[in-house]
Amino acid sequence: MDRLIYNINVLSNFCRKFCKIIDKYTEYIIVSGFVAIASGRVRGTEDIDMIIKPLDKEHFIRLHNALAKNGFVAVQSDDPIELYSYLKEKTSIRYTLKDKPVPEMEVKFAKDDLDYYQIKTKIKIPLTNVDVWFGSINMNIAFKEELLKSPKDIEDSKHLRIVYSEFVDESEIRKIKEMIRRYRL
Amino acid sequence: MRDATHEDFVIRWAKFVRDNPDKWRKIHTEFINSQFKMNEDFLKRLSKEKDGKEKIIKLYNIKNVSGYKKLLK
Repeated sequence: MDRLIYNINVLSNFCRKFCKIIDKYTEYIIVSGFVAIASGRVRGTEDIDMIIKPLDKEHFIRLHNALAKNGFVAVQSDDPIELYSYLKEKTSIRYTLKDKPVPEMEVKFAKDDLDYYQIKTKIKIPLTNVDVWFGSINMNIAFKEELLKSPKDIEDSKHLRIVYSEFVDESEIRKIKEMIRRYRL
Repeated sequence: MRDATHEDFVIRWAKFVRDNPDKWRKIHTEFINSQFKMNEDFLKRLSKEKDGKEKIIKLYNIKNVSGYKKLLK
């Protein structure tokens, strides 16, 4: 019983349930804070960031309906056409469980070569015990150190560097940082 | 980094996670779950206060109020 309780947390369960549905419709990755948190970092968060391969409207409507059928609601609207227009305008849409404003999944379409590279290099991370696709460790470190840079992000990066020291590849991180400067700065 | 003490903690904890794959998860899960439990309990209390529902809508920028009917009833 203890094992059951202690191996499950609310955030991971939410993520797993959401990703299972998304996986049937498109490719996705989980990026940023949740990668560090699922890897043992002790800090709070209310949202999980997800990048998905763009879908056409018809497929997005099917995806939205599947999410709704499984107890998820979008914070902005119930109308999938309106939600789709946000995604097309490069605005993220936010889903939560019905009647629970947190945690939330912030979903956006991949928008440039850097996002597609993140999807292409996606990984599963067994240590997290969350069977979903994550952006690579090197990718997350590079984003946190080169683009996000808040104290919380720098701490996340330090955590990832220690926990996954065997996967840290400085030449890959440098390459990603260069892509970040080209596409995002 | 907030200060040296906090940085020390971040590093010590990361090393603990790396070196104790069977021990960290219990502590971590309790921490995460307690945060969400506190949030849920607080929102229930807030929703019963004067203007509480409006505050929740504002806090989470909820446009789709129908998705949170029970909480906001």
